[in-house]
Amino acid sequence: MIDTVSLDPARHVPGVRQPGFGNTLQAEWLKFWTVRSTRWSVGLLFLLGAGLTTLVCWAAAGEIAGGGTRESPASFLTWGLLFSQLTALALGALVITSEYGTGMIRASFAAVPRRGAVLAAKALVVSGTLFVAGLVTAAVGYLGGDWFLDREGVGVPLSEDGVLRALLGNGLYLAGLGLFALGLGLLVRHTAAALTIGMALVLVVSNLAYALPGTWGEWVAKLMPGNAGGAVAQVVPFSGGGVLSPWTGFSVFAAEAALVLAIGYLTLRRRDA
Amino acid sequence: MIVARGLTKTYGPKVAVDGLSFTVEPGRVTGFLGPNGAGKSTTMRMVLGLDRPTAGTVTVNGRSYADSPAPLREVGALLEARALHPGRTARNHLRWLAASNGIPRTRIDEVLDLVGLSSVADQRVGRFSLGMGQRLGIAVALLGEPPVVVLDEPVNGLDPEGIRWVRTLGRDLAGQGRTVLVSSHLMSEMALTADHLVVVGRGRMLADCSMAQFIADHAASYVRVRSPRTADVATLLRQRGLDVERHGEELRVQGLDAAGIGELVGTAGLHLHELTLVRSSLEDAFMTLTADSVEYSAGSASAAPEAQATR
Repeated sequence: MIDTVSLDPARHVPGVRQPGFGNTLQAEWLKFWTVRSTRWSVGLLFLLGAGLTTLVCWAAAGEIAGGGTRESPASFLTWGLLFSQLTALALGALVITSEYGTGMIRASFAAVPRRGAVLAAKALVVSGTLFVAGLVTAAVGYLGGDWFLDREGVGVPLSEDGVLRALLGNGLYLAGLGLFALGLGLLVRHTAAALTIGMALVLVVSNLAYALPGTWGEWVAKLMPGNAGGAVAQVVPFSGGGVLSPWTGFSVFAAEAALVLAIGYLTLRRRDA
Repeated sequence: MIVARGLTKTYGPKVAVDGLSFTVEPGRVTGFLGPNGAGKSTTMRMVLGLDRPTAGTVTVNGRSYADSPAPLREVGALLEARALHPGRTARNHLRWLAASNGIPRTRIDEVLDLVGLSSVADQRVGRFSLGMGQRLGIAVALLGEPPVVVLDEPVNGLDPEGIRWVRTLGRDLAGQGRTVLVSSHLMSEMALTADHLVVVGRGRMLADCSMAQFIADHAASYVRVRSPRTADVATLLRQRGLDVERHGEELRVQGLDAAGIGELVGTAGLHLHELTLVRSSLEDAFMTLTADSVEYSAGSASAAPEAQATR
């Protein structure tokens, strides 16, 4: 049966401290990891990211060493990034669109009416997870890929310029992509729509922009989120299109993600849940 | 205690809630009654700070819901049974809710036990039946042992045993001194649980009174009297201080039961052709009250002609 609770003047269960942001963060962490899509996405991110890098380096090591690819061997060490960024987008979008899709968002805001706190906690959880996942994936991919390149005599030692930066950059770029997708998800509140827009902006349009003519076309291409942010995550970018320098590019990308997230937050505050 | 003052919500040109003012007092079950689309759920979402009122205010225990430092320990709500992720287990759903408001984890097993879901606590809720989802929603509402409990259509999808359980639960919660607001579109359900009624239709307040008052006002009974000498009978009964209304050849008499009226008329040597007690049900009373405000009605405009005659 129900146990009787005395209604104290403070209207709360006596002896329990007031919940704060730590509680909101803990709640979002639990939410994030208690659905299967998270474990699938993180698993895929690692498998595709690290696995494909290793696979490509194994398969192409001979040609890379022979100069047949006309690319720097170091470019291939982050090859899997092409796919891991997809899962990063999916994770970032799902963290909010799955709540809108199921009606969970009402339970979330009933539990924590400070919507900014809920969003901040989601952003921390998704970006933190993606940072670690990106870093680990890139490190394992580097170890696997470099092992095969090294056998052909074109290994890229960890001490070489840009390698450590690229590993760290993988974590940062994927975390940024997650936040970018979270912002998009806030705006469109629909999983498929958020994913389509995210992939289009980061992958498709980013690549197509290189076909634009003139100096302005080149700048548009350089500033597209995928191109600007991706540079920091690659030891040496593939040739075929100019990119900003790693940290300049990442700053541009971070600003873009922050902008989308800020607009998302403003609409979230005003909107009925 | 929930206090709404001039609560209004419009969606474009459509007015969903139109200037509602009511008070939900502690220690009793307040029924929030109205046909589908009357604005009940919108009102409840505004109580929980999910929807922003176009005008007016609503407070819970003297402040707006969003200002509560630990809302789940202040107000427990069942809004929609399906406001959860189908891939999460019942226990995990309660875990994040408990974490968000600093509710002890021991409480999770308590509420699971209370609503009878302990055996399926680790199943994903996507496989739950409507009734199980509803029970989980009630577990969520009770998680923080809140002094205010808001249940939107709690008996939806429940089997008869479950319906009975919810009724008892509502009464028990009120008996413990809690504020209980239960919405329904079924008068018969309210009649069994509510002490007080707030009736709405098309967003407007139709009645705000005790259940007893509602019955007296809207489900009144009368005695139908027919006689070959209608006028004489009417005069006689009026002389005795009874309330007599004439509808054609029929008299509707209030103030005395059928036996008493029969004796009076018989003593006066008048003949009776009919002497019938007519009682309209609460359901009829509700239909009459809301007949003009039903948003989606099926064909026939007159929902309850018999009941309408009683007013």
